[in-house]
Amino acid sequence: MRRDPVDRWLLPAGESATLFAVLVGGGALYAAAGGSARDTLVSQMLVNAVMVLGLQVYIGNTGILSFGHMGFAAIAGYAVAIMAIEPAFKRLFIPEAPFGLAEVDLHPLVATAVAVLFLLLVGFFLGLGLARSGARAGAVAPTMITLALLFLVHEAARNFTDLTGGERSGLSFGPGNSLQGRGWIYAALGASILVTRLFRETRAGRLAQAGREDELAARASGIDPAPPQMIALLLSIVLITIGASLRVQLLGSMTPNFFFFSYTLLTLSMLVVGGRKSVTGALLGVVIITAGNELTRYLASGAVSVPGLGWLLREGLSDVFLGGAMLGFMILRPDGLLGDRELADRIRVRRRSAEPPPEPLTAGAAAEPASTLTAREVTVQFGGFLAVHEASVEVRSGEVVGLIGPNGAGKTTLLNAITGVVPVTHGRVTLDGHDLTGRPTHRIARAGVARTFQNFRLFPSLPLREHVAVAALVAERHRRDRARPDPGALLSAGGLWEARERPAREVDTGTARRLELARAAALAPGFLLLDEPTTGMSEAESKAMIEHVRSTAAAVGAGVLVIDHDLHFITRVCDRIFVLDQGRVIAHGTPEEVQAHPQVRAAYLGTPAEASG
Amino acid sequence: MTQAVQNLVDGLGQGSIFALLALGLTLIFGVMHLLNFAHGELITVSSYVAYALASRGAGWETLALAIVATSVLTAVAIEFLAFRWVRGANEFTMLLTSFGVHFVVAALFLMYVSPRPLNIPKPGWIFQTVRIAGVALEVVDLATIAATALTLAATSWLLRKTLFGIALRAAAEDFDAARIMGVRSNRVIRGAFALSGVLAGVAGIFWLMRTGTAAPSAGLTPLLFGVIAAIVGGLGSLGGAVLGGLALGLTQVFLRAWLPPDLSGLTEGLIFVLIALLFILRPQGFVTVHRAERV
Repeated sequence: MRRDPVDRWLLPAGESATLFAVLVGGGALYAAAGGSARDTLVSQMLVNAVMVLGLQVYIGNTGILSFGHMGFAAIAGYAVAIMAIEPAFKRLFIPEAPFGLAEVDLHPLVATAVAVLFLLLVGFFLGLGLARSGARAGAVAPTMITLALLFLVHEAARNFTDLTGGERSGLSFGPGNSLQGRGWIYAALGASILVTRLFRETRAGRLAQAGREDELAARASGIDPAPPQMIALLLSIVLITIGASLRVQLLGSMTPNFFFFSYTLLTLSMLVVGGRKSVTGALLGVVIITAGNELTRYLASGAVSVPGLGWLLREGLSDVFLGGAMLGFMILRPDGLLGDRELADRIRVRRRSAEPPPEPLTAGAAAEPASTLTAREVTVQFGGFLAVHEASVEVRSGEVVGLIGPNGAGKTTLLNAITGVVPVTHGRVTLDGHDLTGRPTHRIARAGVARTFQNFRLFPSLPLREHVAVAALVAERHRRDRARPDPGALLSAGGLWEARERPAREVDTGTARRLELARAAALAPGFLLLDEPTTGMSEAESKAMIEHVRSTAAAVGAGVLVIDHDLHFITRVCDRIFVLDQGRVIAHGTPEEVQAHPQVRAAYLGTPAEASG
Repeated sequence: MTQAVQNLVDGLGQGSIFALLALGLTLIFGVMHLLNFAHGELITVSSYVAYALASRGAGWETLALAIVATSVLTAVAIEFLAFRWVRGANEFTMLLTSFGVHFVVAALFLMYVSPRPLNIPKPGWIFQTVRIAGVALEVVDLATIAATALTLAATSWLLRKTLFGIALRAAAEDFDAARIMGVRSNRVIRGAFALSGVLAGVAGIFWLMRTGTAAPSAGLTPLLFGVIAAIVGGLGSLGGAVLGGLALGLTQVFLRAWLPPDLSGLTEGLIFVLIALLFILRPQGFVTVHRAERV
């Protein structure tokens, strides 16, 4: 299932080239048919495209809604304007510029490079702050932090008039101080398209996207979303800075309102209309919104009069259009026109369908050293409620251990405590003597404890193959000392091979559960913790699952801890069973021993009298 | 000392407005996990209704009633037209939907009324002060605090003693469980929006009295402070929202009072720095809300 360089790099590069050619060629044709107003419009559209790609890298891949990017753009715009405008001209606006900035006279390209470095520094610290705030897809804290940045920069730009010229004068480029001609815009746009498109295929890009789809599932697969988010942020800041530099030079001036709320609205609408998750989608949005914006402006300018529509064709129509586009798409089609599809997806899928089927999964990992996962007297307390009370459970490699108990017994909570999803109040979780208690979920996963979820958690818009592939990516780096299962073989063993290009949101429950198992196994774990792997499956499916769990565990050489309600399943699949009731372990032993245990019969089947009656 | 008491009352007066907005935001967050950035539109729409009535000679008693009524109607309308359709969508979609509502409402006023701010005459007593124990206090602050206290008492009674209030709190605690117990989700969500509309309406009366302005983004500043207060208060904690609002009002007033005069232009900027730091250092707010996500 390894992707060849054509699939990984050449096709995306071809897509980038095509998108660039269409955008630039279409723009040139449109401009050639009209006057200089069209020329300016096309230049603006191409610069906006660079800005929107900057947003796409971060927002599209991480799912974090940032309002601060136009704050970065404002800083960049001022930085370039202050450094590139020649001193004689600059003194007209900011004669008392501090730090000797009045005398700085750099070539626009050098000024842009300096601005990029400066903003990378600012962005790095902001990124640390975002990570500290627990940034994840859809979270509120990063949106607020970035919104605060936007307002802060705006306030500063208005008040530090010595440096910025404030709202009145602003800063204007002198003749010959700015880059001329569209060549620079073409170069920046081409590079931006290529970089954003290829980023989706890089390790950081793929891990960021997994984190966007489901943060907890990503962590449970050993992914720490913070580093890929930081990389995406820094990359997006480079693009935004370049875009902002081009925009102020194109417009010839800079004021506090250039990169504020209305430009945020414009660029965000562009990003979400076509599809924020894909580069093709982002660019499609740029074209659609630019066209719509121009059309509504033209109609509202009074150039045409349609009887009966006078109430609609008036100034402000284009703002209603922008807001309406954003709102309408969020309500009707939140992933935009394209979702996460790229230009050449058809070709990609056709090429991949010709892949040779993988070798069968072999029980080749039996040589792994024996290992033990222990939870000793673990207590988990929620407020005054003891969900798990001094429960001790032990699993050794090679065995399948069951965890049963009535609803609310604390089975899932115990599993969550072992994997660091909920904090352990007392007690310890150890792996071969190494303490795992209190470690973050992704570290526990990297240590070799993989899990599935009761209400399965997949990466909805990613194809099935990518679920297994990202886990394998993590294993490649963090499970080096172990034999790692072949991702294709895992898909094949789970009966998922044929459907490997389908997005996970389309699959049924049985497939979803097998996919979760495959994803967990791709981590080459020492232990697999399965939370109700047969719930929602048909009888035939759950029968097949017994064999599947056993053979998968044997192939990766993992011990298994499995929670299930299906007593038949548990007794068939398990070597040993722990019984949990009201947070305590009330019994453990072989399936026969446990079934004969009086307390178990009482807890599980009701009172002894009822059970025998 | 006198100055400190004046600042305290001033801060509580400002903070009361934020507290009412924060309480509405936190109620809505409780029932549909939406941080409603369109909450400020209740004040925006109200401001234009107030302007229209005031320019026809209506007094502030009429304006107050009209503001609350408009605010409730707007809240219910926004729920019906926008948020109902993204219920259960992911957080990104809901967040951007609420921003979308803000942009559309602002654009509509820009298109059909005026991009420029309009003036609503402030009531005559707004600048008056009363002397209590030798301290001159502004009437508008005392009125805000009193009205807020009354509103909060009534809200508290509503949430504790009425069937609707209990259903609302149950839904905020665990929506699925509440639905199984027979709470009707449509009704409880619409009710939460209506209640948040009442709270925003009362806040809007005093906000508009102070600013005297109707503008396409009149609600943006109070909204931002309301959001901050709600998050400071733990987003989901009703008491926390009120405390967060008051704390924010006090911070603002004391910051303005203590900053040297040549830096006073930077008060807003400094507040944004504090906001960013706050979310970086304590993203979960200062009142811990236990929110169990089932995994």
